[in-house]
Amino acid sequence: MLNKLKSVRAFLTIGLILSIVFSIYSAYYKIKYWGFNFAPRKVTDVWTIEEHISFVPTGDNIRLSIARPLSVAGFKILDENIIAPGYKIEKKDQRIEISSNPKKSLQDIYYRILLYDNVDSRGKIEAQKPSSPKLPVMDEKTEALAQQIIEMATQEKGDIVQQVVSLFGQNPPNGVVLSFIPEPRTDKAVVQAIIDILALKGVPARLVRGIRLEKGKKTLNLDVMFEAYLDGMWKIYNPQTGKKGLPSNFIVFQRGGNSLVDVEGGTDSITKFSVMKSIRSSFRMAGHRAEISQSRNLFDYSIYSLPLHEQNTLKWLMIFPLAILVVVLMRNVVGLQTMGTFTPMLIAMSLVETGFCAGLICFSVILASGLLIRAGLSKLNLLLVPRISAVVIFVILIIQILSVVGYHWKSNIALSALAFPIIIMAWVIERASITWEEDGAVNATKEIIYSVLVAIITYFVIVNEYIRHIMFAFNEFNLVILFIVMLLGTYTGYRLTELKRFAPLVNKGKK
Amino acid sequence: MIAFWKNFALPSQLRAAGVLGMNRRNYEIIAKSNRRCLYPLVDDKVQTKKLAANVGINTPHLIGVIEMQNEVDHFLKIVKEYNEFVIKPAHGSGGKGVLVIKQYSADRFVTASGKTLNYHEVYQHISNILSGLYSLGGKYDVAVLEEMVHFSNQFEDFSYQGIPDVRVIVYQGFPAMAMMRLATKESGGRANLHQGAVGVGIDIKTGHALAAVLHNQPIKFHPDTGADLMKLEVPFWRKHLEIAAKGYEMTGLGYLGADIVLDKYRGPMMLELNARPGLAIQIANNHGLRYVLKNIRCSYPKGLGWAERVNYVLK
Repeated sequence: MLNKLKSVRAFLTIGLILSIVFSIYSAYYKIKYWGFNFAPRKVTDVWTIEEHISFVPTGDNIRLSIARPLSVAGFKILDENIIAPGYKIEKKDQRIEISSNPKKSLQDIYYRILLYDNVDSRGKIEAQKPSSPKLPVMDEKTEALAQQIIEMATQEKGDIVQQVVSLFGQNPPNGVVLSFIPEPRTDKAVVQAIIDILALKGVPARLVRGIRLEKGKKTLNLDVMFEAYLDGMWKIYNPQTGKKGLPSNFIVFQRGGNSLVDVEGGTDSITKFSVMKSIRSSFRMAGHRAEISQSRNLFDYSIYSLPLHEQNTLKWLMIFPLAILVVVLMRNVVGLQTMGTFTPMLIAMSLVETGFCAGLICFSVILASGLLIRAGLSKLNLLLVPRISAVVIFVILIIQILSVVGYHWKSNIALSALAFPIIIMAWVIERASITWEEDGAVNATKEIIYSVLVAIITYFVIVNEYIRHIMFAFNEFNLVILFIVMLLGTYTGYRLTELKRFAPLVNKGKK
Repeated sequence: MIAFWKNFALPSQLRAAGVLGMNRRNYEIIAKSNRRCLYPLVDDKVQTKKLAANVGINTPHLIGVIEMQNEVDHFLKIVKEYNEFVIKPAHGSGGKGVLVIKQYSADRFVTASGKTLNYHEVYQHISNILSGLYSLGGKYDVAVLEEMVHFSNQFEDFSYQGIPDVRVIVYQGFPAMAMMRLATKESGGRANLHQGAVGVGIDIKTGHALAAVLHNQPIKFHPDTGADLMKLEVPFWRKHLEIAAKGYEMTGLGYLGADIVLDKYRGPMMLELNARPGLAIQIANNHGLRYVLKNIRCSYPKGLGWAERVNYVLK
């Protein structure tokens, strides 16, 4: 018998471990490829960047090469299209090349990119170790200035790159630094100067250009940052502040000396950028993400591909297993006697709909008036089924009255009566009143209090937005709960309440 | 705060004391010893009576059964040969719905506790039984009319009204632990410990009192009568054990509680059997049940008849 018990437990434990492993993998998969998140975010930001290139054809064959944003940098490309009528389009890894026969009038080409924030997959930029930097060509005077700057930078402690940046950013500007920077002082010029200085010091660095995403932004110039290769890794820096790391709103278009747009067979080219922000439902976005990660089929058969209404219903259902777990724990591990096994859970569900205080007050009112009426009914000595039916009808009447009163007094408390399940309420009343008659008021009150207590605990578990989101987004956790519940079915240890109940048996030696 | 924690025991302490918890009882004892299909045998008192008669267990004589609402009108005809009788629900438990009529005329019924009821009230009581007011799960029930037990004056001082009964836990046919339940004023003549009755642990070998509790606390004297509970001694003890042990043959239940009363004229009689006897008996005995049962399971001989099993226990 003991062996059998062990094998049941072993079986369930293996099931539990497998389900945990599966859930962790599945959660990892969803986060990585579908962009799910542990935090409840209902919407995802979607950015549209439009690159408008216009130029005047020279009459030769036209060839354009446009840099594509690099998707590794925390954003993923949702959609990308290029509007270039009459052009041959060729997408390459890092660039888009379009070409056509000679054209006459002013050409407008639009390159539109839809990006979404993929914070979860944000990682370090890995790149091959660059060869040692080419020494910049400088005249003697400039080199002397540069050496002076390096000296100043190395005097201070800390990251050499940040020191150099802070020298360049000083206000009022340091004279030495000022004379090092060519006029006019643009971000790009400053960055180039920093890169030169770092090259002298032997630190490879390169220019990074991209767009800082801001709502409604329109600009002719790309934003500039730079990367330095330190400790075996490319690290990105802000040339103004020296802050390390890629800002969360920065889209990298190109790195190093590659140009953004090359135009052959055209002159006077102008590139304009505009940025637009829109939002989309997270779970809708998940579909696009799944598509990118080639797990579309899997996604199509998950609950997240259902219409929103069904999803909401399922979201509500997905929290049930956790509530059930709470009830099982309360009964079999804590040992609280409640009225009906799942009654507290259903009360908790109603409380979520009604709000905590309003729901509790309303519940008490229905219960109290129901018990009074039930006491009256017991004097009539009705048969069982008609009696319970009468209680059900009374509960409906009470709820009606409360709703009307609530409406006229503008009281949400009374209006919340509508959310309570009528049959359950009638059952609670019947059960409480029988306990009252048979075991006295004390036992009945105890049972009611325990039931409400379990309901309140369940309520606080299921009302949490995070928990609800996680149980829905990572619905495989329900499998883990299933095995935990089954394992609890083999729990033969003492209940918490028994520690008190049987305490006299332990203290016998002490007297 | 410290005083509060004194009311609690550590799980390790309970384990050391051999206390059987509810979860272990359900999982290791009841689920493994009692097949579900056997439950109806003990849940229905009419059935139990018939089965008991088959194995020669004394029970209060059955006067009649009322199954239909329209039969309630004739209940006086059914009991007309008897001066006293008991009305109880066939599927009741814990003494719920039991009405003891000591004396009656056409419209005057005196109960055991001295209350007077009129015909209509008794009629209603039977009606309530039929509608399932006292039955497990509120299902429709039948009312059982049986002879009253004349409880032995041996226990007169030990109980405040009501009938004191002996509860014997029988495991695999062997009586394992016993207690006597005495009604108090607080329990309203009923013998349920959680309603405030006194539980007296009885030595399974001798029938003598071992310890007593009221509301989980050890006591020495009956709260209402003041009788010294440690002097309590159950006569015909072997007979009690025989009835309990026969319960195993009678039902096939590996774990059961037999409720036995002592009648002045007919000796020990079985009132009912219980397929899920409670755990309070451990407190009344001041002794855990777990190792007692384990001992029976592991080292007691198998395949004995009821008489041999009782001998084995008494030995």
